[in-house]
Order: sequence, then C-alpha cells, then structure tokens
Amino acid sequence: MDALGGLATGFAVILTPGNLYLCFLGSLIGTLVGVLPGVGPLAALALLLPVTFTLSPVGGMVMLASIFYGAMYGGSTTSILLNIPGEAASVVTCIDGHQMARQGRAGAALGIAAIGSFIAGTLGVVVMTFFAPLIAAVAIRFGPPENFGLMVLGLVCTLFMISGSTIKGVLMIALGFLSAAVGIDVVNGRERFTFGSVDLSGGIELLAVVIGLFGVAEVLSNVETMTKNTLVAERIRGLWPTLADWRASWMAILRGSGLGFLLGLVPGGGPVTASFVSYALERRMSRHPERFGKGAIEGVAGPESANNAAVAGSIIPVLSLGIPGNPVTALLLGALIIQGIQPGPLFMTQRPDLFWGIVASMYVGNVFLLLLNLPLVGLWAQLLRIPYRVLFPLVLLLSVVGTYSANKNVFDLWVMLAFGVAGYVLRKLEYDLAPFVIAFVLAPLLEQSLRQSLVMSPDGAMILVQRPVTALLLAASAVLVALMFRRKARIEGGS
Amino acid sequence: MTRIAVACALAAALMAVPAAAQGDPKAELAKLKPKDFPSQPIEYTVVYPAGGGMDVTARLLAKFVEKWSGDKIIVNNRSGGAGMVGHSYLATQAKPDGHTVGVLASLVWGDAMLRAQARWSLNDLEPIGYLNSDALTWVRQTEGPYKDMSLQQIVQAAKDKPGTIRVATVPGSMWDYIVEQIEAASGAKFLRVPFQGGGAGITALVGGNVDVAQGFYSEFRGHLDGAKVAPLAVAAAARMDFLKDMPTFNEALGGNEYLWQVVRYAVVPRGTPADRKAYLGAQVQTAMKDPELIAEYKKQGVYFDPKLATSTKLADDLATYIEAERQFYVKTGRLK
Repeated sequence: MDALGGLATGFAVILTPGNLYLCFLGSLIGTLVGVLPGVGPLAALALLLPVTFTLSPVGGMVMLASIFYGAMYGGSTTSILLNIPGEAASVVTCIDGHQMARQGRAGAALGIAAIGSFIAGTLGVVVMTFFAPLIAAVAIRFGPPENFGLMVLGLVCTLFMISGSTIKGVLMIALGFLSAAVGIDVVNGRERFTFGSVDLSGGIELLAVVIGLFGVAEVLSNVETMTKNTLVAERIRGLWPTLADWRASWMAILRGSGLGFLLGLVPGGGPVTASFVSYALERRMSRHPERFGKGAIEGVAGPESANNAAVAGSIIPVLSLGIPGNPVTALLLGALIIQGIQPGPLFMTQRPDLFWGIVASMYVGNVFLLLLNLPLVGLWAQLLRIPYRVLFPLVLLLSVVGTYSANKNVFDLWVMLAFGVAGYVLRKLEYDLAPFVIAFVLAPLLEQSLRQSLVMSPDGAMILVQRPVTALLLAASAVLVALMFRRKARIEGGS
Repeated sequence: MTRIAVACALAAALMAVPAAAQGDPKAELAKLKPKDFPSQPIEYTVVYPAGGGMDVTARLLAKFVEKWSGDKIIVNNRSGGAGMVGHSYLATQAKPDGHTVGVLASLVWGDAMLRAQARWSLNDLEPIGYLNSDALTWVRQTEGPYKDMSLQQIVQAAKDKPGTIRVATVPGSMWDYIVEQIEAASGAKFLRVPFQGGGAGITALVGGNVDVAQGFYSEFRGHLDGAKVAPLAVAAAARMDFLKDMPTFNEALGGNEYLWQVVRYAVVPRGTPADRKAYLGAQVQTAMKDPELIAEYKKQGVYFDPKLATSTKLADDLATYIEAERQFYVKTGRLK
C-alpha cells in the first residue's frame, strides 16, 4: 500500500465520531497533564492504561498517543509563566520563556510554543507517513557504535549550554555524570555507588531529579522572595509573535523539528533529550548567543518544536518494529499487547487500519491541540492571579504526586526533596542546572553504548572509526569543539 | 405426604450442592470468600514498569479475577532496581492482610539468593497460584556468516574461533548463565555483548550488531514472521508447541542442565491469614481455568509448564526449580 492510499485508509478509520472524540479527549488530557507541573505523560498514560482495555485497539492507541504529544504542547505553559516546567521535556523552555514572560511577552512565548509544536508535530507525521518503513530499516542498523557517536555529539552540544562560568558549567556536567553512575553496571551487572541501598540499586530516578531541581527549587526560591513579586503580574500583551519574532524563530522551529525527530528515533532518546540538545544547538547557531537566557524567542521555539517532533520520531520504532525507545513508548507498546496485538516488522501490512489510523489521528490531534492551545493561552495566564499561598502548595502537591506515581516508591520523594534543596542552593551560587540534567540523561546512554562498542569490537577503539556513521558523528563533534575554542580564543584575544 | 416432600427437598438440596460446586465457579469462589474481605480493592503488585511483559500478565489476570470474583483489583507497578525494590517491598513491607498480592516472575529467586543479603528470603513470599512460563530461546540472523547454522555448528564455531561470535546477554542474569554453562561444557568461547534486556538484544541482532540473541518468543515473534531471525534452541524441558522444529538445548547439546525459564506466579506476603490466602489462591486458579484467559496468554507467546499448571502443592514444585537454580549458583561460586 502506498503512503497516500494508506493515509486515506487511516482517515477513514479515524474520521468517525467515536475516534475523533477519543482523539480530542486525549489531546485535552495531554494538555492538562502537560500544564500541571510534576504530572507528566508517563503518569497519565499509566493511569489511563486500564481504561483503554474497554476501547477498540485503534481508539485506545489514538487516545494514548494524543496524550503523549498533547503533553508536549501543555508542558511549556508553566515553564513560561511560572518558571516551573510542566514536564521534563519543557525544562529548557523555562530559561528564555520565563524571561520573555517577565518582559511582558508571555503571549508571544506561549504562542510560538504552540505554533512551533504544531509545525514540528505535523512535519514529524508527514515524514512518518512517507518514510516510516525506510526510517525503521535504517534505525535498526544503528548499533552501539552509532548510538555512541550521536551521544557524543549531544554532549558536545551541551557545552554550548553553559552560560556564565565555564568551570561551574563543566562541574555541573561532571556531577551529572557522577549521579548517573549510581545503579547497576550495565556490563557486569554489579551495583555501583548504591551503598547497600535497595532503593539506589536502580539508579536515581530522572523524574524525581527534574521535579526536584526545577519544581521544588523554584518554589523554595519564590518563597524566599515572596515579598518581591517575581511572577508576571501584568497583562499578557498580545498572543501573536511579531514579525521579528517570526524571523528569529522559523529556522529554530525547522532545526528543532529535524533534530527532535532524529533524537526521538534513538533508543533511550526522546522528547527530553531532544529539547535540551535543541536549545544548545540554537545557542550555538545564533549570531547573538548573548541574548540567550534573556528572553530569546528561538530558545523557546527550538526546544518546544523538538520535543513534539521527538514524539513522532519515537513512535516510529514502536509501530514499525515493535521496539520502544523510552518508558512512554514502552507503555504504548504494552497497551497494544494487552489488546492482543504484537507490533513488529509486519505490523504495517498486517494491520494497516491500525497503523494508518494512528498516523492519521496524529494529523488530526495536532490540529485539535493548536485550536485548543491558542485560545487557552488567555486562560492559562489567569494562573498568575492565583495567590502564591495557594499556588505554591499546589505545585508541591503535584510534584509529590507526579514523582510518586512513576515507581510508587517513597524513596523517590526523598530524592526529589534532596534535589530540590540542592537546586535551590546551586541557583543561589549561580550554577546552571540545565547542563547537569542533560549530562544526567546522556551519561547512561553514552556509557552503555561505548562499553558495548568496545566489547563487540575485535580491534578495540578502532570500531569507532571503522563504522562510517560513527566516524562522521565523532568528526562533527570534534569540529564543533574546535570551533568553540577558536571563538573563545577570538573573544579573549579581542577583549 | 409431608415426609415425602421433605425427602424430596432434601434430595434436591443434596444434589444441588455438588452441582453448584462443579458447575459454577462463581458460587464456588463465593463460598470460600472470608467474612469482611476484601474491605478495599486488592492490589496486584508488579515489580516492573507498566506496559512490560509482566505488567501485561498481571493486568490480564486482574481482568479475569474481577470477572469471576466480582472483587475490585488494582494493578500497581512498584518498579526500580530491576525488580529489587518491589521484591523487597513485598517481602518486608507489604501488609499481610490479603489486600496485597504479588504477581512475580521467577527472577525473584536470583534476587532473593544473590542480592537480598539476608534482609529477606523466598520464605517471606508464599505462592498461591501458577500463571505461565517463558523459556529462554536463542535466535540467530538469517543473513551473514552464520546463516543456516544449527546450534551445534555455532557452538563448534565458537570453539574453533574463540571470542568471535557475538552473543547478546543481560549481565548477571540467566541470559548470562546459560552462556556460561555452554562455555563450560563445550570449551567454546563467545563474545558477550551486554544489553539491558532481551528485547534490546533482539533488536541488535536484527540490525546486524550481534550474531546470536536470546529472548522470549514474544520478543522475537515479529521478526520471525518477517524472516529476520531464525530460532536455534530453547532452554526448556520439552519443545515448544508453537515452534515444533526447534530443539531444546538439552537435545541439541546433550545434558540436562540447560533449563532457563521465567516462571510467573502469584504470591502473598507471609503471614496473610489462611482463609484469605486460600480465597486469593482460588481466585487466581478460577481465572486460570477460564479458556479466554488461557487464550489471551497464549497470544502473548507463553507456555504452560505441565508440572506447575496441574500442581496441587505449588510451593513444593516451585522449590525443586529453585533448588536447581541454587545449585547452579553454588557450583559457579556465586553462593556459598
């Protein structure tokens, strides 16, 4: 079946009142869990999984998938308005998004986030429509050495994220690596840095770290400065990005879409990684990197596009190979399996109704989400009218609920609290938290793929040069580092 | 006249009782139901994340237990530490009042013997019902230098050219142990490439990054249908119904020690009142007699170990498997 014929089948499946309703419902729920800090798509999907048993396979999948990408739309809202990420993939949106809000440009930030999400989400599905089998065939050839190359490139990009002191930034990256080392060693199966604790044997939970560092720490900082109004009390000045905003953003949206899609495909990657790397990339590409951190709109447009494109990217391996790359897509796979459907290489030909139904629903869902999110911006802005004494306890409550729901392990709450306090202190000392998180996310993938590569290689480290894709990615990383040093040398030489 | 009526009524009552007992599982279950239990939803604890194989097993079970008992079941994923966090919770923290049931895989045995450090033991978890099993299977590519090779030929190749055949394993688990056994018995040497689960290894096989992968039927079935992988052997006592041509390891290599499978079963924490334990066990067993549930499980690609499926003393029958695993740990110096 060719792509257009398939898509026609898909739309025939999806354009029924029942399925459209589920798609809309999923988009709405997704937006809500995105907006609520602490509660993310994983928690929402796990909670709603049993509900889908009573739905048809198409209906259930359409709803779960739309929650996943819907959360990417909603996630930016509190990042921009409150400096508290709605979910992990919107952490970097805080940096420039909240600065924009403080300059009274919350509307433009929210608007570009929604529009960027729409463009990236739709581009992702278009690529998926025409190239899913091809992409899947290429993606599955990606072995440990190729993944290692990608992770190195990602890590190099994070070097560009460091604002302020380089030493402090590198220190945070090192700390991220160290924290990620806790848990079971992937090569020999032994425990590292667990100090005999059962709770640490699985490593430190990413969700608890992110919610602690950004949600809890922000509340702590605000409580301290309660008298000074740090929030954006003034009215939102127009929802639409200006012409200048567009000029600054459109390339960021396209780059974010491409990058996000690619990183979504990688096992272990996904929206979180995509948003961070996109932010770093925008900063690197910008002719005015000094604007970043002070309300650069491309710092919102890039990551918010990237996390949406990553959703499309990460759904491809699940639907065309049956391989989930992150916990959310693992849940999607589980939902299918419970319905008695095992996706694999033949899924597309055996169940065209399902495959194309889901693809078609993603076109529809993205339209729903745009229509839902743009008018809602005004409503979300009202969040700012909620008094702090109500808002902050609410954020803390949601943080606790969101963290606990991941593993149902009380220990994770202590982790959240510890990272909350640590985040508060580090912020006071002017350490960047974003490099820490990105190192924490990338380190396990980096370590695993490197050690796997070395084990499987007959000639030691030579495997990293022998595999063309790896060699190319490593060369690109080296060039980036060289450019960074040259620029730095020039700046220092000039001043 | 009255006497006859009474006699008739008595006879009817006498006949009705066994009829109800055999014919209507619902009534049978209701008879076992303890007073005032359950007073809240019963929690099925799964120690792995939502969406995985164990989670699917538990959710299907919950659906059919609800159908037959009318009780409300909640599946709760207490994940972390590759199952260790949830296992410890069940063994040491869960209230033994019948409202907590663990739906476990036999990977808990290794956790108890090697990782629990005497904080808890398998005695803290009392089996109440067998669910299903999955046996570890080796698969190879359908292209490249090892295509068309049988297991014996691949082992021979690993003996002739030690350290060249790449096998995907999961460190510190049965994926690793079976490689160890084969190497010890044959003198072959494989190149073990570590992955975080069977599925990741299968993916690497299809991508041409390893030569042999190990996993469960459900993990490679899709690629088998697409002729991307070919089965080599299964680490079970007998051949699988769905892959009749695939030999067992014991057949292919000789010996009787190549038995590596995941046994899925339900437990209650030790100290759960006997009547509640009996009722919870009866719930699971009733659900497992439902042909619909069996069909659902079969769709997952699992098999039913005849010894455990018909077992009347599950704890003892599981103990023989556990003992075999313990002996492997002792033999290989992992356990004193």
